[in-house]
Amino acid sequence: MSEPRPPALEARLAVTVGRGERAFSVDAELSLEAGVLVLFGPSGAGKTVTLQALAGLVPGVRGHLRVGGEVLLDSAQRLAVPAHRRRIGYVPQQQALFPFLDVASNVAFGLPRAVRRSPRSGVGALLDELGLGALAAARPGSLSGGERQRVALGRALAVEPRLLLLDEPFASIDDEGRAALQRLLRAVIDRRGVPAVLVTHDPAEALALGDRLVRFSREKTSASAGPRALTELAGRGPVTITGLPRGPVVALGQGRARVHLEDAVLEVPEDLLGDAAGATGPLRIELP
Amino acid sequence: MDADPTFPILLSLRVAATALAVVAPAGIALAFVQARRRYPLRSLVDAVVLLPLVLPPSVIGFFLVVLFGRRGPLGRLLEGALGVRVIFTPAAAVIASAVVALPLLVKTAQPAIEAVPLELEAVGRSLGLTPLAIFFRVTLPVAWRGVLAAIVLGFARALGEFGATLMFAGRVSGRTDTMPIAIFDAYQSGDDARAALYVGVLTGLSLVVVIGAAWLGPRAAAP
Repeated sequence: MSEPRPPALEARLAVTVGRGERAFSVDAELSLEAGVLVLFGPSGAGKTVTLQALAGLVPGVRGHLRVGGEVLLDSAQRLAVPAHRRRIGYVPQQQALFPFLDVASNVAFGLPRAVRRSPRSGVGALLDELGLGALAAARPGSLSGGERQRVALGRALAVEPRLLLLDEPFASIDDEGRAALQRLLRAVIDRRGVPAVLVTHDPAEALALGDRLVRFSREKTSASAGPRALTELAGRGPVTITGLPRGPVVALGQGRARVHLEDAVLEVPEDLLGDAAGATGPLRIELP
Repeated sequence: MDADPTFPILLSLRVAATALAVVAPAGIALAFVQARRRYPLRSLVDAVVLLPLVLPPSVIGFFLVVLFGRRGPLGRLLEGALGVRVIFTPAAAVIASAVVALPLLVKTAQPAIEAVPLELEAVGRSLGLTPLAIFFRVTLPVAWRGVLAAIVLGFARALGEFGATLMFAGRVSGRTDTMPIAIFDAYQSGDDARAALYVGVLTGLSLVVVIGAAWLGPRAAAP
């Protein structure tokens, strides 16, 4: 009989960054059995800071963090595993590719020196899997947004992280490339079974990729309260989104429509909006 | 007859190179710490590093004599433990040059290091690199131009050091007469031709260095 697998992620993190009037606090509770957890909400709600706190990249984080059953942070016990020993892959929004290295060397960057120089390092296979085989010798400066994102993803995956963090991975990609990259990302993650935390402000993206969603919102009730995760929408099954529209529903053509909610912009098939298009009260959208 | 006319040239180059070999690693490490860490006495360290740049050379020379002189704490320590006397030796010229080169080195290297995007270092850490490995594999490959410019400018400053060297290393012909000292000596003894030789060499070298530093200098990192 096999033992039950520990949950991929259990975390309660509180952190304040900056000081004085620019101080900014985040308090988030996250949990994920397996798959992809989406942190979703408007910019400025603390999603990126939460990712960086998971990776161990911001000092002074209080709370606890357990990844795959292993404790990486327990501020009550004064335990904080440093970032370079967490084995958590981090893909920042601007990719942060190393400008002085070609694509293959960027991807191989985190591997031990001996492995890096070996033809059997697995970097070649990873490049092929990500559709970067032909670009192995290219410099980051010559790549498109989608290519850069795939290099950053490959670089994080090469070291076989126990958790993958992705900050707005589709922000610098055009609409056409986005759907393809979303499929690629989901396939790559599922193939490895690596749990992931993905940040996005786009509800459609959140629903397309997340097994579990945590919604962040900007809450300015008091200086120290700051943003925190508000609601959690469970599962990839039917989801209901409610909110007060802040403007009319805009038809986008091809059966899609856009509506602005308090803290999000929603782009969905037109028929999902139903008669909400004419309504003035809170909007209720059922997503299949 | 006078000493070998090439001696001051070679001595100056040796002194400046040795001073930089000592002060460059320390100065670059200090620039990195000042650029990246926030700690309580940071601004005090900043001020102390800057001090040799604004103090008159005679004040620096005086401090060095007090520290390394035969009755100074470091001078006694070195003589007692190793039997080494520093004052009025080429080693004194090296120390004086190192002290005046340090501020220029740190102040030139620091902005180059500050300009390296923090995200790059953050990714490096998430990929398992220790802080030391981050410096060599991420920070330096991005900031190397500015860091090299800092070393080159520090070298030029070390080459031109005069006041503190005069007080601390003296003007022992054939032993501590670096080019700036030799110029002063030759000029005082009316040997203008000899003075002009070293003036020419120093001016030429400094010009090359300044042009080199400008070429390396702040330029946008290629994406």
